[in-house]
Amino acid sequence: MTWNDFIYFAIPAIILWIASGSMVYFRKYVKIADLTMLTGTAIFALFITLFWIHIERPPMRTMGETRLWYSFFLAVVGFVTYKRWKYPWLLSFSALMASIFVVINLCKPEIHSKSLMPALQSGWFVPHVTSYILSYAMLGAATIGAIIQLAKQKRDARIFDFIDNLIYIGYGFLMLGLLMGAIWAKEAWGHYWSWDPKETWAFVTASAYLGYIHIRLRRNPLYDTFALWLVPIAFLLLMITWIGVNYLPSAQGSVHAY
Amino acid sequence: MWQKPWGYPESIVVVAGTLLIGLVLQLTVGAFDFYLLAFPNNIILGSVILVAAIGMGLSASKSSFIRWFSGIPMSVILIIAFVFLTLLMGSILQVKSSNTKLGLDAMTSHWAFVLVYTLTLLSLGVIIVRRLLKFRISDYAFHLNHIGLWLFLFASGLGYADMERYIMYVREGETEWRVYDDQNNVKELPLAIQLNDFDMDVYPPKLVVIDRSNGDVQPKDNPDIFQIDKDQNTGSVFGWDIEVQEYIHEAVRSADSTYRPVPMPGATPAVKIIASRNDTILEGWVCGGNQAQIHKTLPVDEKYSIVMTVAEPRSFRSDIVAFTESGEQTAKVIEVNKPLSVGNWTIYQYGYDNNAGRLSSYSSFELVYDPWLTPVYAGIILMMLGSLTMLWTGRKGKETSNDME
Repeated sequence: MTWNDFIYFAIPAIILWIASGSMVYFRKYVKIADLTMLTGTAIFALFITLFWIHIERPPMRTMGETRLWYSFFLAVVGFVTYKRWKYPWLLSFSALMASIFVVINLCKPEIHSKSLMPALQSGWFVPHVTSYILSYAMLGAATIGAIIQLAKQKRDARIFDFIDNLIYIGYGFLMLGLLMGAIWAKEAWGHYWSWDPKETWAFVTASAYLGYIHIRLRRNPLYDTFALWLVPIAFLLLMITWIGVNYLPSAQGSVHAY
Repeated sequence: MWQKPWGYPESIVVVAGTLLIGLVLQLTVGAFDFYLLAFPNNIILGSVILVAAIGMGLSASKSSFIRWFSGIPMSVILIIAFVFLTLLMGSILQVKSSNTKLGLDAMTSHWAFVLVYTLTLLSLGVIIVRRLLKFRISDYAFHLNHIGLWLFLFASGLGYADMERYIMYVREGETEWRVYDDQNNVKELPLAIQLNDFDMDVYPPKLVVIDRSNGDVQPKDNPDIFQIDKDQNTGSVFGWDIEVQEYIHEAVRSADSTYRPVPMPGATPAVKIIASRNDTILEGWVCGGNQAQIHKTLPVDEKYSIVMTVAEPRSFRSDIVAFTESGEQTAKVIEVNKPLSVGNWTIYQYGYDNNAGRLSSYSSFELVYDPWLTPVYAGIILMMLGSLTMLWTGRKGKETSNDME
């Protein structure tokens, strides 16, 4: 299964995801929405699996390959958190975000060769990248919650609970990704932390979420509003870390491919 | 403001003041010299911070100032200060030593960064001591995350000056103990490396079309490539349809300019292809060559040729023996991601003669000495366990009203 076949999986997945994200608002179709979402995600997972087998290395080397995982994890996280918290907007926004990243991948084809440079040939490669991308998906879902909460006249305690939980778990995965990266860096490059531009931005992102976590330890309407605004800001920093760093003049000579 | 108990406003003023003092110091005395912290100074400063943290932690119950200093508002503002400083750091190209008066292009040796770092170590240290004094098993997540972070910040910050990094070049069959530092000064180490053998493997290379007059890959702005791949033996490059007839990963050229498989160090990838466009059908061998064998191209017309690119390395490895002054010997085949540790030294596969590739007569190694690695790793492991607890419990629904919860 080469990248050229991606479209045959991507289009059905998008259709199913969007259909699910729309049906979830109608009582009659709620059950079908579950099935539709799962089928779309399964089709997407099938492509990743077949592509992985074809390319003979973890499909995590290029930016587009990480977007592939992001779409997948968003769909999974969106579905799981929707089942846990019962918010229909979680499912529909996650489905929409996942679809957007699929469309980006369709519009920006890349060269996916089988070669993997020696530095990436490590047992840390797969857990480092998946842990990060999974946390990005969770923190993306938390951002959706924060925006919904900011739009509300009165703060909903349950939505706060949802945001807090996703940020705690997302931050856990973020830190695991970062710390595994540090151990790997020591093995591959000789130092666990070199303030490479990507590392610097990862530090900025993690610190921003750490700030949220600490502010939320005390309840106060003023702090709550500040904390809520911090969530989309932190997510913006996260996007710069993931996608934007390569475009910054400060990142000339970064050792990270993405 | 300044009415007890202190909270966010006082924290903001104190941290902003610290940043300002840092800026003034930077402008007056210049960047912070990390090598001032070389052994034993780092031990002395570390002990001072540790004693201060313990002392303050012990007297926290009597001092609202200490409780504020190690409380949530202070920690939030310190975190925001870090976000601010590292945002600048991530936005400005960083160099080894600053070229500007403001010093923002070498953030880690900026006084403001160093002072905020020190303040964080102290504040974090105090809250850990306070919580340890009222130790509860149920606080395991707090302790794992905070003690882990403190250990990491403490050992990596104070240990930085004691770290040494060198590059060593060793010829095959020889033993070397001289290294180069980052200023290219030669130094003799108490550690020697004997290189028994260097070898590498490459990925199947790519085919491209070049303009013979200048060597430019075509089309010039967005080169076309054909990746040789056992699963995909047809494709096209710059308008030519390519069909792979035979690919030999380790090939040697015969007298009649064809290639045959011979597994030896001088061998190189070669491919036999049919290239066709409209009615023209060409057949021939293409080989990138190396120092032992001349390359071979397939000219397609008077201007262009199909050529093979330099293959990307799949792996490169050195069979070495490391000797220490005490007579200890360790043998290992090292490669990227598989270093060798000898005491506080770690030996990394670094590079080779890129022009010679597999025929490189030497291998280069990076040697890193880091006596502070153990506490750093301890910190990393504690933080990893702390992160796992966060996955497990998420955010418990309760809010806290004081620092001990």
